[in-house]
Amino acid sequence: MRLLEVEKLTKRFGGLVAVNDVSFQVEEGEMVGIIGPNGAGKTTLFNLITGYLKPDSGKVLLRGEDITGLPPYKIANKGLVRTFQIVRPFRRLPTIANVLVALQSYRGRRRIEWIKTPERKAMEMLEDVGLSDMALEPAENLSHGDLKRLEIARAMALEPEIILLDEPFGGLNPVETEYMVKSLQRMHLDGHTIVIVEHKLHALMKLVKRVLVMHNGELIAEGTPEEIAKNKKVIEIYLGKAI
Amino acid sequence: MPIRRYLRKAYTSFGTHIYDIPPRMFAFLSLILFSLLPLFNLPTTMLQPLISLNFITVLAVSWDFLVRSGQASLGHAIFFGIGAYGTALIFKYLGWQPLISIPLGVLSGVGIAFLIGFPCLRVKGPYFAIVTFAFPVVMTGIVKYFPELGKDAGIKNLPRIFPTLTYTQRWLAEYYLSFALMVLSAVIIYKIAYSKTGITFVSILDDDLAAKACGINVSKYRIMAFVISGLFASLAGGIAAHSDLFQRRASPTFLSSTYSFVPIIVSVLGGMGTIYGPLVGAYIYTFLDSFILKSIFKIDDFTRTLIFTVIVVILLLKWPRGIGRTIVEKLEDLEKPREIEEIEKEKR
Repeated sequence: MRLLEVEKLTKRFGGLVAVNDVSFQVEEGEMVGIIGPNGAGKTTLFNLITGYLKPDSGKVLLRGEDITGLPPYKIANKGLVRTFQIVRPFRRLPTIANVLVALQSYRGRRRIEWIKTPERKAMEMLEDVGLSDMALEPAENLSHGDLKRLEIARAMALEPEIILLDEPFGGLNPVETEYMVKSLQRMHLDGHTIVIVEHKLHALMKLVKRVLVMHNGELIAEGTPEEIAKNKKVIEIYLGKAI
Repeated sequence: MPIRRYLRKAYTSFGTHIYDIPPRMFAFLSLILFSLLPLFNLPTTMLQPLISLNFITVLAVSWDFLVRSGQASLGHAIFFGIGAYGTALIFKYLGWQPLISIPLGVLSGVGIAFLIGFPCLRVKGPYFAIVTFAFPVVMTGIVKYFPELGKDAGIKNLPRIFPTLTYTQRWLAEYYLSFALMVLSAVIIYKIAYSKTGITFVSILDDDLAAKACGINVSKYRIMAFVISGLFASLAGGIAAHSDLFQRRASPTFLSSTYSFVPIIVSVLGGMGTIYGPLVGAYIYTFLDSFILKSIFKIDDFTRTLIFTVIVVILLLKWPRGIGRTIVEKLEDLEKPREIEEIEKEKR
């Protein structure tokens, strides 16, 4: 079943067309990667899908339901959850409270057994990403790698139908990247639907079965990682034209 | 025996859990001290600052609650004034007694909080501060223009809440009423702020975009903080308007910048965003201001304000955590060694 459908999404900032007529679909249980050079419009696309920006034209459908232009919190409560490229923890709160905030939302509170013991649920989420030792530490004391994982724990606490990760490997060292790849693989095996925007092609190509390539706000290629790696257009935009 | 261990023994001797935690113990002892204080036949001139202290504490604590939701207001006096004028108008035109008119005044305060909360949703940080700064100023203008609102003199001759008491008893009654109001507001606001819902407010203060991504209806929570804060501040205004300390009238004094800025000063003194901080700060402020600078050194109002402004600037630069917060954290440190002992016991 088609979980997420993006139809002819367009966004202009003044004269600049940041996202131009982008359409794609994500099936249930799929893991999709979106790649592209800087300024290709990947993050803008995420912002359009999750309601942080309003599209000039086009539609976003979640399970066939039109969610275009809804406020971000409503979209999150419908099960389309995102993380941020630059980590955005609640620095004053302890790590576990960061996850508890997500459990305070409408979607987080709907499960009756969580209302009784949200702390236990939050602790489970932290254990999944290996942060349970830091549970009571204020989030401002966490390292960048830990914060990246906290972002994922916080998003997963909403039990998303589909999760949009904006550069989950950004700023991670090789060991942390490896750990993150394993976490994401586990999430995928658990049946979660994941869309990843990423720069680190190496890590991404190992993970996903389908890749979309964006350039200057447009989708220019789509296919398996192997196909994309051989695609002339893609090589051209990443490495420049052969002289 | 080292002092620390002696103190620890003193706490544990109470036996019950509530008093185990040093800050709570500290709060409990202060509660007893300040509820017994007026019984030592204090002169009225000493009781008055203490009553004023209670009202300021309510304002400061409710202001601090608003800060925890990321909305540092510069016009908290609006709620104090609305509470006072609301109850006064109901008495003037309907003749209803304080027991009914004060709750209705509070209701009007909540209504205004709701109304001004909405335009404030669109602005953040410094812009929010500027917008809120305008509210009491505009309100003062309205109040001074309409004769129905009493212009400069305000609405006079409001009834006393306790009409039958003698002069000294009246001041005592006012002290206890304001003290009860202060304790009640502080406890309720503290409970809300440190509840499960309370962390949501802090998440908005930290990063409202991330809170939205967590599915939190940020606008709803911001309005909620406004309403809760406005409720307690206007309750303080309503009761204050009926007290002899404010000459039993709702006057433009209630809307003056004093009641917008003193809560901020005491919050900075005590430690912003902690709820108990402003409470500690208000006591420090009153004792410094009324009992030392005014009574002993006879410094005039203007110079005292200047002194506190300088203190606040220095504190913000050198000690932004505040005095109250530092005290409480020191007291909590006393608790830690025992916790570690307990954990080790469990391991064995």
